[in-house]
Amino acid sequence: MKGKIIEIKSDLNTAIKNIIKTLVQKKLFDAVFVPVRIPSRESFAYLLIKDKEILESITPLPPTMPVQGARALKDLTRLGKLNLRILCIMRPCEIRAAVELAKLRQITLQNLTFFSFDCPGVFPTAEYIKSPEKYDQNIIEKIKAWQEDGLRPNCSICVNFSHYNTPADLHIGFYRNHLLIYPVSKNSQKILDILSYRAEDDLTEWENSINTLLKKKKENRSRKFSLLSNQTKGIENLEEFFTGCINCHNCMRVCPICYCRQCFFESPEQSHHEAEEYLARAKEKGGIRFPPERMVFHLGRMNHMALSCVGCGSCEDGCPMDVPVGQIFSFIGNEVQKMFDYLPGKNLEEPIPLLTFKEDELHEYEDTREKK
Amino acid sequence: MQTEPTIIGFLCNWCSYAAADLAGNSKLEVPGNLTTIRVMCSSRVDPVFILNAYFQGADGVLVAGCHPGDCHYQTGNYYARRRLALLIKILQTFDIEPKRLRLSWISASEGQRFSEITQEFAKFIKEAGPNPLKKKPFFE
Ligand code: SF4
Ligand code: SF4
Ligand code: SF4
Ligand code: FES
Repeated sequence: MKGKIIEIKSDLNTAIKNIIKTLVQKKLFDAVFVPVRIPSRESFAYLLIKDKEILESITPLPPTMPVQGARALKDLTRLGKLNLRILCIMRPCEIRAAVELAKLRQITLQNLTFFSFDCPGVFPTAEYIKSPEKYDQNIIEKIKAWQEDGLRPNCSICVNFSHYNTPADLHIGFYRNHLLIYPVSKNSQKILDILSYRAEDDLTEWENSINTLLKKKKENRSRKFSLLSNQTKGIENLEEFFTGCINCHNCMRVCPICYCRQCFFESPEQSHHEAEEYLARAKEKGGIRFPPERMVFHLGRMNHMALSCVGCGSCEDGCPMDVPVGQIFSFIGNEVQKMFDYLPGKNLEEPIPLLTFKEDELHEYEDTREKK
Repeated sequence: MQTEPTIIGFLCNWCSYAAADLAGNSKLEVPGNLTTIRVMCSSRVDPVFILNAYFQGADGVLVAGCHPGDCHYQTGNYYARRRLALLIKILQTFDIEPKRLRLSWISASEGQRFSEITQEFAKFIKEAGPNPLKKKPFFE
């Protein structure tokens, strides 16, 4: 594996910023889409930046993720292709969600270039805004040590945090006070040329360090998944798992994949019924809880989007009740994605399993009783 | 008190619904506790419809469409099969009685098959006992 190794003289954010500035100065890009610390200093937002001065203040590596990048990008390209060439600097799960949204025709990728980086994870937003200074310092430590405590739970079980399975144009790795530029797409050659870099340095050491970490994270993940599997077996346990849920639908609203302008679970046909109908249901069930359809919402949402769930944990980050909703979606996402050997957002050419089929498949789900 | 189970059948207009008609006209036996809902294609059935039925206390749900290759809209039933497989997988993972859900292909000329499948399913559901969600007001 070859790339370009650069020594970091200041800090990481500045090192990445310098690269971006050069690319904009040399007119390879018209604008940059990247997180910036908001002036009150307590949080971060994606900005579409044209102004070179504002470029000075970017934070390509923010310690938290208040808005999932793909969700932000969707607003930008909602009405179709851009005439500007935009450079987007995003985390691997954000890029995968963007590709998934492109498959769902909610994002147009034309004229967008993606830089990904080795993601150390993010801190829960609610925790971060309580003491930003502490976490600003911590994120640098995290990157150095790759520790997992205090991160978003989804981040500590994330196995696609580096260049593997991330369809960026160019990936930026970190290894011992060095930045590594790893060209991924054909597009990236032009970028290296402009920076006068040649991809000739040996990246093996970095790759080995990523593989070691990957192994650890895979173990964490399967441990967590078997725990979740036990915790949610049977409807009573599943109900207990969601016990704090107040049915606010925030998890759906912040999820990058749930793009529907009118969520089915908030549509009149699903959720506005005459009182008589509720009475009839109450008779059948002994009584019904209000607001109704809480479990149907979660299980239904899984049916709608778990095949595309990138496991980013934004849903959990946005949940006011600390329901481990991101973990359970990651878990069920993994189960159903395995059925179709599908990894969301990995490859633009690969169709979402519900939008394609094979004629000869899944017979075990047909006439299930007849065969026994 | 043992009441008759409730079974909901989502039947495709072009095949299974016609098969139900044929069964009726040919005086074949069809379970009296089967409530049919006509859909224009098996692919119209959003898994959420099935979850709704189930969480509101239905004891069994049958989805029936045209045989593979025979869908009136060419490929609807292939998509339906993927969706239902996904739902069954989710129900299996959480152990929420996937056995109460059944996907079958019944063509318009198969009145006999319609009668057999529905009777057999009704019998199976009766033996399986009532949907455990019936008297659980908090599980919605
Ligand atoms: S369901 Fe949660 S973890 Fe999955 S993509 Fe949506 S926000 Fe991310
Ligand atoms: S839950 Fe389903 S209907 Fe609602 S936004 Fe997500 S995909 Fe759309
Ligand atoms: S899981 Fe959390 S965010 Fe989602 S509906 Fe329940 S309380 Fe709201
Ligand atoms: S028309 Fe019958 S399954 Fe599509």
